[in-house]
Amino acid sequence: MPVITAAIDPVTRIEGHLKVEVDVDTVDGVQQVVDARSVGTLFRGFEIVLQGRDPRDAPIITSRICGVCPTAHSMAAALLLDSVYGTNPPEASRLLRNLVHGACFLESDILHFYLLCLPDYIRGPSMAPWLPGLELGRRLDPAAESRLVAGYLKAIDLRRKCHEMGAIYGGKLPHTPGFIAGGFTAVSSSANKTAFGSLLAEILEFIERTYIPDVELLGSLYGEYFRIGRGPGNLLSFGVFEDGAGGHLLARGRTVNGTASPLPVDVAQITEQVTHSWYDDATNDLAPAGGSTVPLSPKPDAYSWLKAPRYGGAVYECGPLSRMAVAGHYRRGISVMDRHLARAHEALRIAQAMQGWLTALPTGTGAFDPFDPGMIANVDTLGLTEAPRGALGHWIHMDGTAIGRYQVITPTCWNCSPRDTAGQPGAMEAALIGTPVARADHPVEVLRVVHSFDPCLDCATHVMRPGEEARVIPLWRPPAARAGRGRA
Amino acid sequence: MTTISRRSFLRYCTASAAVLGLDPLRLGLLNDAMANPSAPSVIWLHGSSCTGCSVSLLNRITATGDTIAQVLVNDINLIFHATLMASAGDPAVAELLRVRKSGNFVLVCEGGVPTAFGGRCCITYGFGGGEITYMQAVQELAAKAAAIVCAGTCASFGGIPRSGSNPTGVVSVRELTGRPTINISGCPANPDWMVWAIVQLLTGTPVTLDANGRPVDLYAKDLAGAAAPELIHDKCPRNPALTGAPLAAGFGEDGHCLELLGCRGPHTRARCEACWNGVPGQGTWCIGVNAPCHGCTEPGFPGPQPFYEPFSG
Repeated sequence: MPVITAAIDPVTRIEGHLKVEVDVDTVDGVQQVVDARSVGTLFRGFEIVLQGRDPRDAPIITSRICGVCPTAHSMAAALLLDSVYGTNPPEASRLLRNLVHGACFLESDILHFYLLCLPDYIRGPSMAPWLPGLELGRRLDPAAESRLVAGYLKAIDLRRKCHEMGAIYGGKLPHTPGFIAGGFTAVSSSANKTAFGSLLAEILEFIERTYIPDVELLGSLYGEYFRIGRGPGNLLSFGVFEDGAGGHLLARGRTVNGTASPLPVDVAQITEQVTHSWYDDATNDLAPAGGSTVPLSPKPDAYSWLKAPRYGGAVYECGPLSRMAVAGHYRRGISVMDRHLARAHEALRIAQAMQGWLTALPTGTGAFDPFDPGMIANVDTLGLTEAPRGALGHWIHMDGTAIGRYQVITPTCWNCSPRDTAGQPGAMEAALIGTPVARADHPVEVLRVVHSFDPCLDCATHVMRPGEEARVIPLWRPPAARAGRGRA
Repeated sequence: MTTISRRSFLRYCTASAAVLGLDPLRLGLLNDAMANPSAPSVIWLHGSSCTGCSVSLLNRITATGDTIAQVLVNDINLIFHATLMASAGDPAVAELLRVRKSGNFVLVCEGGVPTAFGGRCCITYGFGGGEITYMQAVQELAAKAAAIVCAGTCASFGGIPRSGSNPTGVVSVRELTGRPTINISGCPANPDWMVWAIVQLLTGTPVTLDANGRPVDLYAKDLAGAAAPELIHDKCPRNPALTGAPLAAGFGEDGHCLELLGCRGPHTRARCEACWNGVPGQGTWCIGVNAPCHGCTEPGFPGPQPFYEPFSG
């Protein structure tokens, strides 16, 4: 039987622009994905926008990299600026940053499972935008489907409430102006603490009583997805939610192929490879601190706008499962369904921690450490945090008191990268290979694997190094040139 | 397999007559429009965007507690929206092309249009083995659309991706197509303003636009529809003329005017004070948390000036 190449373009229910190409063949009697290519189809050039700007603008500008994880960028930029100016924001700043970022985590978790993933398993109402729907196998009984649809509808309201909650201190979401160099803008009062706490209690109850049970229900009905979509097996987390003692609620670390105890993260081990990306090979394998982005297309064997970040040359997955595994809270395994389950249980932990941060939040005091923007403490520095979908790093090089260079590596760059110089597929590509596909013309199984990584291609758009002329001419090789791409 | 019907879906939603907080006359028009099988569909495209305006749309809530679920079920036949639609790949695109052919649709654009590299740094969908750029999709759809709504500052004016010396050559939808657009600027666009604009179009209600293509009603009227100052500063509860309080000298001073910290309220037209997240009239906004207005609804946003130095306009 010939290899069938199926392309899903656009991959919907993600943020941004993604195409996934899979080659399907029958191996050992099972029709399955034998090769996969993840193609980022959007390039936005954000880092060049930052060049020359006042660095204090970074949380505002970088928030607009992604409307789904805006506070992750604001947080990374604010942490970076704490280092640039050598500020020491008061405790209230740490708590407010954590609370608003936490609100966006919970929003993103609920959005991801119900609005972005569930339509891969259940049918929505018989109208747009749920029609035309996917050809789904008959799996759910009416009672189970009704329950999940009820959860979906409740989720629409609950995810909105997460943003309403975060905006109490963030002002507006997405794109809060609350994160600033030196701290946070808002001042807490007993009234807004009560309002925040009341929404948080409702969201926490939803996570406990609906979200986690719904994920467990789906997992029980689609048990094979605990065996599908493993990927590289290496898990990375930069750590998130500063605990005030130099650590994080969810620790920084990595595991290699199931190592029981996490290994430390040495940022110097991170490089970006571009052999299969539309960038000049002269910029291959650079560390982000000295990174360079020179678009180049056409280019033989390149197929994505995403670079391929690697740690010590190895492929890593990041995201909720990685964080929970590194922190020692989740050991069940690595798969499509494990990603959903770990995420739901992480949401519960974060919501519970938020209750503690809220209680500790002092009222009536500012959350800002004044500083002189003309005094630069660190010319080259970085800010590491986690977006809901995984590890996020911002790197800066100061030129006087302005931004000289700014580099961003987003979680989707880790998860949805193309092959690297050694030919290793990216994490999601690797996870796709071996996925059984019932109908190659309708590969819903592929979507289930893709969505478990929560791709965000708005974020992933790698950005250009300031001051260098783009050399991109036509972008896409004709389809014929791709047709011959081989089996795994 | 249970296919949930529109009727049974409605059972899950909070039943409410005042779907959009409209007056009875407008509501009647909307009901008529929706009862009419020839009511326009809505096609929502993403370009050089962050999806923030879509996320913002999902934050919609009315004073009566109605959410975006009601809007989707009752008011808008949203046939293409990459973040919300169930479908993917070819079936999704086929539906888009079917409606495009009919010409009976409102086009909503989120994100500016990259024009560098022949537009190929933003591919909206694949079809027939080819790659359709956002630039091409907007041109083709705009030529047929009954009306065009720009959701957010990027589609309206170019926004942050256009600033500095960005290499992707982003332009606004109006600049690309030469067609009039209804610009719902804001970064992101306010959900109430977006739904308001789409409903005006579906009900055939004329929309008066200012020189920047923005509906005058959204910038120069308050929630109740009464005339209001356009500039944020002129209606800001922290306006020193109103409070008699000193200007804030640093962050964290509740109630003080933020002009010295970079507030662009004196140069920004919008009715943000009415609400961002939460029930209109009771919700939050940037200045409410001591953050200076960054002028995100203005054509000049973000501009080269630093956000945290006094703004000279």
